[in-house]
Amino acid sequence: MPKKVLVVDDSVFMRDIIKDIFAAGGFTVVGEAGNGVEAVEKFKELKPDLVTMDLVMPYRNGIDATREILRSDNKALVVMCSALGQETMVMEAIEAGAVDFIVKPPRAEDVLAVVKKVLGEA
Amino acid sequence: MRHVLFRLEKDRYALPLAAIREVVVAPTTWTRVPRSPRAMKGVMNLRGRVVPVVDLRELLEVGPAAGAGQARVMLLDRGRRELGLLIGEVDGIETLEKVGPPAPKASAAVKGLARLGALPVTVLDPDALDATVARAFTTK
Amino acid sequence: MAASWDTSRYLTLFAGEATEHLEALGKDVVTFEKGATPEVVDSMFRHAHSVKGMASSMAFEATAKLAHQLEDLLDALRADLARADAQVADVILQTVDALSTHVKAAVANQPLPDSAELGAKLAALHRVLTKKDTPVPAPAPVTSTPARSSPSSPELEAPAPFSSSSSGVVDPTTPPRYSLRLKINPASNQPGVRGFLAYKRLSTLGNVFDLKPPLDDIKAGRVPQGVITLELETDQSEDAVARTMRTVGDVELESIAAVVKTPPAPPVAPEADPSRVVGQEPARTIRVRTEVMDEFLDQAGELLLATSRVRALSRRVPEALRPSLDEAVDHLHLLVKGLHGRVMAARMTPIAVISDRLPRAARDIARRRNREVELVITGEDIELDRAIVDELADPVLHLLRNAIDHGIEPPEERKAANKPPKGKVTLAVTRQRERVVLALSDDGRGIDVARLEQAVVERGLMTVDQVRGLTERERLMLVCLPGLSTATDVTDISGRGVGMDAVKRAVEQVGGTLEIETKPGRGTTFRLALPLTVAMVNLLLVSVGDEVYGLPLGKVSGVIETARERLPMSQNAPVLQFGQSVLPVHELSSLLEVPAGPPSQGQAPFVVVDGDDGRLALAVDRLLGQEEVVLKALSQPLDLVPGLAGVTILGNGRPVFILDVARLVTA
Repeated sequence: MPKKVLVVDDSVFMRDIIKDIFAAGGFTVVGEAGNGVEAVEKFKELKPDLVTMDLVMPYRNGIDATREILRSDNKALVVMCSALGQETMVMEAIEAGAVDFIVKPPRAEDVLAVVKKVLGEA
Repeated sequence: MRHVLFRLEKDRYALPLAAIREVVVAPTTWTRVPRSPRAMKGVMNLRGRVVPVVDLRELLEVGPAAGAGQARVMLLDRGRRELGLLIGEVDGIETLEKVGPPAPKASAAVKGLARLGALPVTVLDPDALDATVARAFTTK
Repeated sequence: MAASWDTSRYLTLFAGEATEHLEALGKDVVTFEKGATPEVVDSMFRHAHSVKGMASSMAFEATAKLAHQLEDLLDALRADLARADAQVADVILQTVDALSTHVKAAVANQPLPDSAELGAKLAALHRVLTKKDTPVPAPAPVTSTPARSSPSSPELEAPAPFSSSSSGVVDPTTPPRYSLRLKINPASNQPGVRGFLAYKRLSTLGNVFDLKPPLDDIKAGRVPQGVITLELETDQSEDAVARTMRTVGDVELESIAAVVKTPPAPPVAPEADPSRVVGQEPARTIRVRTEVMDEFLDQAGELLLATSRVRALSRRVPEALRPSLDEAVDHLHLLVKGLHGRVMAARMTPIAVISDRLPRAARDIARRRNREVELVITGEDIELDRAIVDELADPVLHLLRNAIDHGIEPPEERKAANKPPKGKVTLAVTRQRERVVLALSDDGRGIDVARLEQAVVERGLMTVDQVRGLTERERLMLVCLPGLSTATDVTDISGRGVGMDAVKRAVEQVGGTLEIETKPGRGTTFRLALPLTVAMVNLLLVSVGDEVYGLPLGKVSGVIETARERLPMSQNAPVLQFGQSVLPVHELSSLLEVPAGPPSQGQAPFVVVDGDDGRLALAVDRLLGQEEVVLKALSQPLDLVPGLAGVTILGNGRPVFILDVARLVTA
């Protein structure tokens, strides 16, 4: 069964790119969220196998959302989407429980490699 | 009685020290209160409590503030709650004994006029202030 | 880097979204010119950041570079708001305009304009802004205790610098140790984060020792040849460690070898068997999922509200019927209150749920930092609402970590100060009337308030005058300022660690308060005063203009997105088709008498709610999502406002009013 992914990013544009990568890689994107609050809600509702999480978002940032998601399910797999220059924030997110990270702009092969590793499929 | 002296622009005001809980730095952003009178500045988060704050100049109808002189919030102790007053600078604490009658047409929240040396000081009544705020809401 | 997809497919989307961000940024600049606040600079930063990300994904390198420079400039400004002036605003505006030109050119498939001159201007301004005229002194070097060399046999292991009065003796057996060698893929573009991730993953398995290079170097990306070596003390098998490392991308486990043989486990005393309850009749219990408990509370709360509605309606019935109706309502109210009380009681959870893990954590932290610490916990049987206990788990752990990391001095320093070498950390839980007080105290060096104030001013978080105007209590609370508590150089010196703003936020979010007391050289106490119970409510958060409001989800029937200008009109007023019915549309901004946002283009959200006089649709600017919050009652004069049900404080510290949807229009 294809693994279920929740894509979180405040940019519709970026979400579309990531969604296309997942679709091409044989994953099912079960939902998307545009801010941290929505991300937590959607996570609880959809119980995805994996979440990709933007760092900088309005309203509740990716780090707080990751923390909240891990609190509701400590086995949740959250992969951060970061840009170069956000190393400190990524480390904070890892501290909060994120399992890995991908660097924007996302390249299909990088994203799929990281995700497969995290899911133990590599 | 000991009073806290403070300013709204150039004018001097006083409130009894016993009625004041504390004075804090005014926040930079406010949450607006829906359906509220003009004097209601908004609410602020004070250590986890939501405190309503009124613009004292507006409440006393002495005209809106000219500049950015509204730096502090004075918190009136109202028992189990607080009422914040947006004011200018706090000048200090002084003993004011003789309080004369208020100026004609002064707000109901004014108790009277006192003198500190040569300077006139408008003394406010905390209970009447509270009542004036409530009236502003109900007669809006 | 060549994009691995056909970017033209995304061009329209890119143009639309980038333009939106740039327009919003331009609007922010206007606000910024009137007065630079952290909020507006944050917002500008986010917009610039988004544009950068999109542009670089589209391989519009020049656009991305310009946006990146703007982002850098705003970041510098964030650290030092005082430097915002008209010139800065001007340059920002120019950049926004230039970026808009870039986007237009991109859409028209034309070459991107040359922005080198503007780029140079941005770089120059950035240099000016980041030049500190009052440099922050480097932190005094921490007197480090030489790390214990790894013992050749577990018997020689020094006694763990830790004991606990609450949960008995810590297991004296030392788990086996492995020596590991990791290699970061040289092609990895963020080797520091990769190394940190590997370290974090391993530390979930056990304790890490002899990490080389040290963690701070790894985090900064200083990993010669990409090689990391460390020793891991863990109960896990070699295989399990290797398996865990395989899930970390771009880091290879080059070798793993056992350092010491596993000693035979000593026989475990029967009393320590957690699966057996000794010496007392076990209470008969059933397990209930926590969500069910939350639903119980919601329903009981709704019942209370419904009862009040019935009471209000009873005033409208004829006089003759009133007495018997009132009596029935009184009785109903009593029953419902009793039920509500029992549901609340069933939710009560002892603090032990979170304090039980502290001794182990204290031991680990103390070891890692070469501190000797005794942790004493009292009153852990005291109960609080489950939701509050849950929220406190992280903050309490954080306070403990800070107390050991930054409060308690290394043993030598303590001896020099005539203190016992072993520091003491106390978590005392007490019940004080309607509150539970958690006090976490250490007997360490205390907070250096003068240094703290200096740092706050240096960072431009407050002016000298503002700091001077603070009470003693408020000065200590400076430790919780967001911009400060993430700066390790400040907090290390001032004796308190990172993330205090998050602690304060969590405490306030459950309706509690945080107080700090400190005595130089004697120690610090963090006192969390917490309510016993909470009233939780599930909200749909919406924005209108600059304001955010919460609509209780129980009253929301649905959300429809449609173009405002396409709404049909009925008797000169807009209406909305919802299922079989046609609903009146109300602008939430005009209902609440607050300024509306800019008129929306395209799809706008309408929230369908159940009012007292039937369903209606509320026009809002944006939907922000759902959130479960603690409802606070309104006090005078806010309770005089019709249409408000309560207020809450969101995670970001912002107070938000909860609307009484049922009476929004009728009131």
